[in-house]
Amino acid sequence: MKGRLDRRAVTPLLGLVVLASCFGDPPLAWPPRAPGSQRGGVLFLAAPDDVPTLDPALGYDSRSWMYEQHLFETLVTYDDESRLVPQLAAGWSISDDGRSYRFTLQAGVTFSDGTRLTAADAVGSLERVLDPKTRSQGAEYYRGIRGAADYAAGRSEHVTGLAAPDATTLTVALDEADPLFLHKMALLFAAVVPADYARRLGDDFTDHPIGSGPFVLREWRRGERLVLARNPRYRRNDRPFLDGIVEQSGVDSELAWLQFLSGEIDVAGIPSADFPSIRRAAAAERPGRLISGVALVTNYLGFNCAMPPFDDRRVRQALNYAVDKDDVIALLSGRGVVATSFVPPGMPGYTSATRGYPYDPERARALLREAGLGAGFATELWTQSSDLDLKIGQKVQHDLAAVGVTMTMKQLAWSSFLEAIRQPRRVPLFDLAWSADFPDPSNFLDVLFQSGRSDANNHTFYANPTFDRLLARARPLTDPAARNRAYAKAERLLVDDAPVLLLYHPITYVMLQRRVHGYALHPLLPARFTDVWLDPEPARDQGTGAGS
Amino acid sequence: MSERRTRSGLLRIGLVMGALLVVAAFAGPMLAPYDPTAPVAARLAEPSPPGPPFWLGTDDLGRDVLSRLLWGARVSLLVGLVAMAVTMVIGTVIGLAAGYCGGAVDAVLMRGTDVMLAFPGLLLAVALVAVLRPSVWTIFVVIGLVSWTGVARVVRGETLSLRERDFVLAARAMGANHARIVVSHVLPNVAPTLVVIAALSTSGTILLDAGLSFLGIGVPPPTPTWGRMIQEASAYYRVAPWLMAFPGLAVLYAVLAFNLIAYGLAERGRPGR
Repeated sequence: MKGRLDRRAVTPLLGLVVLASCFGDPPLAWPPRAPGSQRGGVLFLAAPDDVPTLDPALGYDSRSWMYEQHLFETLVTYDDESRLVPQLAAGWSISDDGRSYRFTLQAGVTFSDGTRLTAADAVGSLERVLDPKTRSQGAEYYRGIRGAADYAAGRSEHVTGLAAPDATTLTVALDEADPLFLHKMALLFAAVVPADYARRLGDDFTDHPIGSGPFVLREWRRGERLVLARNPRYRRNDRPFLDGIVEQSGVDSELAWLQFLSGEIDVAGIPSADFPSIRRAAAAERPGRLISGVALVTNYLGFNCAMPPFDDRRVRQALNYAVDKDDVIALLSGRGVVATSFVPPGMPGYTSATRGYPYDPERARALLREAGLGAGFATELWTQSSDLDLKIGQKVQHDLAAVGVTMTMKQLAWSSFLEAIRQPRRVPLFDLAWSADFPDPSNFLDVLFQSGRSDANNHTFYANPTFDRLLARARPLTDPAARNRAYAKAERLLVDDAPVLLLYHPITYVMLQRRVHGYALHPLLPARFTDVWLDPEPARDQGTGAGS
Repeated sequence: MSERRTRSGLLRIGLVMGALLVVAAFAGPMLAPYDPTAPVAARLAEPSPPGPPFWLGTDDLGRDVLSRLLWGARVSLLVGLVAMAVTMVIGTVIGLAAGYCGGAVDAVLMRGTDVMLAFPGLLLAVALVAVLRPSVWTIFVVIGLVSWTGVARVVRGETLSLRERDFVLAARAMGANHARIVVSHVLPNVAPTLVVIAALSTSGTILLDAGLSFLGIGVPPPTPTWGRMIQEASAYYRVAPWLMAFPGLAVLYAVLAFNLIAYGLAERGRPGR
């Protein structure tokens, strides 16, 4: 295209062309779109950072998962309401003692390279995750499979609890009944990959991933762009609709918004500066279609319960009462709901019975007096260095000053921040959020507040034997209603003990171009593109990439 | 002649501007219509444009920009002056010692200065703040530590030439000790230069302080600072440009005031020309 411009046109455009060839990418050819068809077209996206990895054994972040879930499939997955549904499995059965699982795989599924997907691949994929050489963070999820420990220690060739009696049957034997096992099989760590191929490639698998998902990797130029194309061998003929997905990296959120306004990309988050006016505007006046979703996330300030004065429950409760959460929501331009419990609404086990801590500075002062801190005290809030954390920190700082608590702020980069909050008696107060890996209350309560878990994620160093007992009682329950009731009981105790200052559950808002359909935010998973389709008329020159 | 008049005019303008700044800094808390850290606007998350009752608008946390600017003047001026004093003391002592003693002392001190000069000032400041805890005191010390090198070099140069002047040689012949010569004979003659550098270095430190605040490592919140105001406003530059413009203009004003004073003083200090 560039070469065909005539000379006169080139001169004034020279700057642009030079820019385009510096920052833009060579054109990608896409199949022409049949007029009027729902099928076809390319979705353009932009993100600030590159995708960390495309190897499902290694990815443990939403960016990696976003693309992995399009290249690979798991035996089970979640539907739009976060219920477990079959994906590669046609069905499964669980033994009465809850220790053996038998999955029947769909017949005739092939990987994108044309080889057949068999139960042996499912076994090999899990073994690959458990193999210490893979260095998978997901290995801990599958340690309950019989023989996993021996395998990881190199004492056996295979995991004895995993077997593939025939090409479409996978059996799993567990050491103990695990009510969460199906959730663990829905994690992308358990994605089925061509096991021998993946082992042969080792660390290079991320660059040449082969899976059974609706898309295949077409191009990945790190730091520049990631391109997925339709998997022609996908097991469903009617999906995906899109021919491809192009994500440009190195585009910060501000630039992404400008690119969205100029029509270069199809999906964008909304800068906080623009959000209030967009939300007020009528649907037709907005630059695109606004969609939202409540994420299974809780934002909170954690108290170090082992450090005075936060070893006193009254002080922790006082600070909970002292902060005006409605103002915090207002600061977010309404992009959140006030948290009254730790388990977010929409999660199984969520209870509306806890009232949380309404804004009540009088009560806060009274509690502080009771604790002998009527004259106030000084503390320090450790946060990551993000604008939002700083903004909310300043709001909290102001509210706490009103009850006599002087709070300073210390901002750190993410990794140093994580390192610091793991140290006992180092960080008195920290700003953190927790998002669900799978829809079960244990994913919030056990992981963050069980005593003795401070090596993992109990950064508040909260330790209450009664609470631990309630967790232990709830953990093995398999009946969902009984399980949720038991966890709700633990939750009530937790909210009363207040090891955290409950802030809010965020609501995500995303703007879509009007040509995009079928794009939905999932409470648990990153956005899925399998059902996304674009308006039939081509909105742009389909022959070139986003930057040219 | 006419250039000279312009210069002394500039000095006068600089002094008036500086005086206004000092007034704002001292009386700021009384002049400020609102608490600079309190959300006073009706709406949060949406900066309101300049107009009554918030003459310079409010920021996203609902705080009054005018009040924050006035309180920020205090911090900026305080940092500017104290950090300047730290700079001047370190620079003058090292410059005098190197220039007066000469020889090995001079060589060691000046190579040390060269090493300091080789570090980019802002990076060194960032590193120092990361090691120390951010506070007003840290900022004084850090800015002083990274900006004394220029002062030291100028003072050394002046001292080198003064050392050989007749009145110094005379004082030495009369048996004055070194300390007395430096304090009573060399220092007073370096003073005019020092005053000029002091004014220039004040504007330099105000700028450096704003830069550190902009990077989020200056005087920590809730203390309002101009640099942090600019930083916080950067997310709103399209919808609320005034948030960035007012503190930006304030920095410009303060730097200009001290630069004008410095230029005016520099011209006065050269009676022969």
